[in-house]
Amino acid sequence: MATSRSDASSLRKDRPFGRVLIANRGEIAVRIIRTCREMGIESVAVFSDADADALHVRMADRAERIGPAPAGDSYLESDAVVEAARRSGAEAIHPGYGFLSENAGFARAVLDAGIVFVGPPPETLEALGDKLAARRSAKEAGVPIVPGLLVPLQSGSGAAAMADREGVTFPAMLKAAAGGGGRGMRRVERPDQLEVAAASAAREALAAFGDGTLYLEELVDPARHIEVQLLGDRHGHLAVLGERECSVQRRHQKLVEETPSPAVTPTIRERLFEGARRVAGTVDFHNAATVEFLLDADGNHYFLEMNTRLQVEHGVTELVTGLDLVAWQLRIAAGEQLSERVLAATPRGHAIEARVYAEDPYRGFAPVSGRIGAWTMPDGPGVRVDAGIAGGTPLPVEYDPLLAKLMVHADDRPAAVARLRRALEETAIGGLDTDLGFLRWLVDQESFASGGYDTGLIPREWGTGPELDAQARSLAAFVALEARAREGAARATVGAASLRTEGSAWGALARREAVDRPRSR
Amino acid sequence: MSDVTATIGGQRAEAASDWTASWREGDAGLVRLANRHRSELALVEGSGSDWIVTLRGRRIHVTVQTWRERVLAEAESAVGERSGPVDVRATLPGLVVAVAVAEGDEVEEGATLLTIEAMKMQNEVRSPRAGRIATITAEVGRPVAAGAELLRIE
Repeated sequence: MATSRSDASSLRKDRPFGRVLIANRGEIAVRIIRTCREMGIESVAVFSDADADALHVRMADRAERIGPAPAGDSYLESDAVVEAARRSGAEAIHPGYGFLSENAGFARAVLDAGIVFVGPPPETLEALGDKLAARRSAKEAGVPIVPGLLVPLQSGSGAAAMADREGVTFPAMLKAAAGGGGRGMRRVERPDQLEVAAASAAREALAAFGDGTLYLEELVDPARHIEVQLLGDRHGHLAVLGERECSVQRRHQKLVEETPSPAVTPTIRERLFEGARRVAGTVDFHNAATVEFLLDADGNHYFLEMNTRLQVEHGVTELVTGLDLVAWQLRIAAGEQLSERVLAATPRGHAIEARVYAEDPYRGFAPVSGRIGAWTMPDGPGVRVDAGIAGGTPLPVEYDPLLAKLMVHADDRPAAVARLRRALEETAIGGLDTDLGFLRWLVDQESFASGGYDTGLIPREWGTGPELDAQARSLAAFVALEARAREGAARATVGAASLRTEGSAWGALARREAVDRPRSR
Repeated sequence: MSDVTATIGGQRAEAASDWTASWREGDAGLVRLANRHRSELALVEGSGSDWIVTLRGRRIHVTVQTWRERVLAEAESAVGERSGPVDVRATLPGLVVAVAVAEGDEVEEGATLLTIEAMKMQNEVRSPRAGRIATITAEVGRPVAAGAELLRIE
């Protein structure tokens, strides 16, 4: 079987690479492996000791161990990843998102090893990694930025005076210049709270990024978080593939994304696309990229940051455009030009993604650990599931607790919301807490159904979630009582069977089941 | 059996009566619930008295206890303080059939203090902590109400 597939794939003359190493894990590694397989490219997975039996390792054509469980010793260990690529004879490295995907030093090490980096040049990663420098270049390119500082915030007692001198009004947001993922971010209500908040944000940023430099932006509230998807090749072509609405957030991190945004009118869309093109024009990039904006209640947009990598939420854009963004990343990296089909891509319908995390939404979305028990994913028309884990496997505590991304596609937004509700109803995960209870609540909220929500939805409307309603309570009691009765009946049956059929195969089976069945005493 | 009760968040929960549950072996606790109008998927994990029901994406801890387990659990939770005088009370109405200690006795934690017969079952009341029996209120052959003081330990 494997031989015939390899033979078939070697016949494909149009594949950009023969072998690609995926420097990532979990759902995104699985996602990239799938495209490699479709393109006839051999995939090489990397794994830490915690992931030796992980889904992405099992799905890849080859796998290379890169170190012990902690990410800092494995998935973030640049040398180990480059060495694994060399060892396996990979022609290119796809970094996925997170980990080393925006690390300029890694990109440089990959290039120095004579391997293609599926991403922008190291200089671009350096330029965009400094969010403050990116603010300055966006402003110079004529793109609106959130009012605030263009230079680092002074530390200590000088901070408030500096904010005052620069005319920053409060409430304001502290952000890390090297930032991302919500780390180093703090909302500051009044100038006299700035010094203390800045000290704690700087510590967090230093720990997360090795750089405690901060800046200050005025708070845009209410705000929607909207990003524009781009693809750029090495020949100067740029495709603008629509926007994504990412305003359902907790801890400044996205939980649900959709495209198109219900807040974006054709006029706003034209402005966002123009802003994205201008920001993209400030750097040399050839890859998938995203330009992020805040949109205020009056429809004004403000540049936030640009990421020159694949985003977690890229799948909704794939659903409405019909494009495979990972395939295009690989083709671009191999020097191909964007096709007319890509440059003229017209989104069709509406797509929504819901991220399923191992965390407890009733306790502030605190991450949880454990072993996945039951695992039932949705299916059927217009449903796509990108998962990185299987039922009956432990969730490694060392990494991001993203379990799966449920995506739906339908003709219009109401149909997509109905489809997402149906898909969530088909989903069941056992063994640990997930945010599925929150997601099921969300699709029934007026603010979400109408599309009129903003980044304050979770703190304002969810909090720690609603009380358990009377019907759910009585149904849960019913199920648990039935389960216990069933357990008792099973034991009685097993006992009787083993007495009656001593020595028979059925008796042996019954005894084994009785022993295997977990009991708590 | 009506003898078995479900508790959610410390409150007794009545079971929904108009639903049916269908199970499949090997489905790791997946259960299909249905009434006349609606069917939905739920998940149940656990054993004995501790269960987690995942319903509509929410994990709900449900304690399922027989009458006997409930009594034992209540006796345990009634212990509370580990020092100072402790009043040992009846957790259910019944008949005192034996008193195993006398005033002034030193007892270990878990020692049998007395036996109460209720619903045709003999239930031993055990000492919540080590101490000296200060006073004994209970008398063999006398019925006690739920919550009635049986004896005091210092």
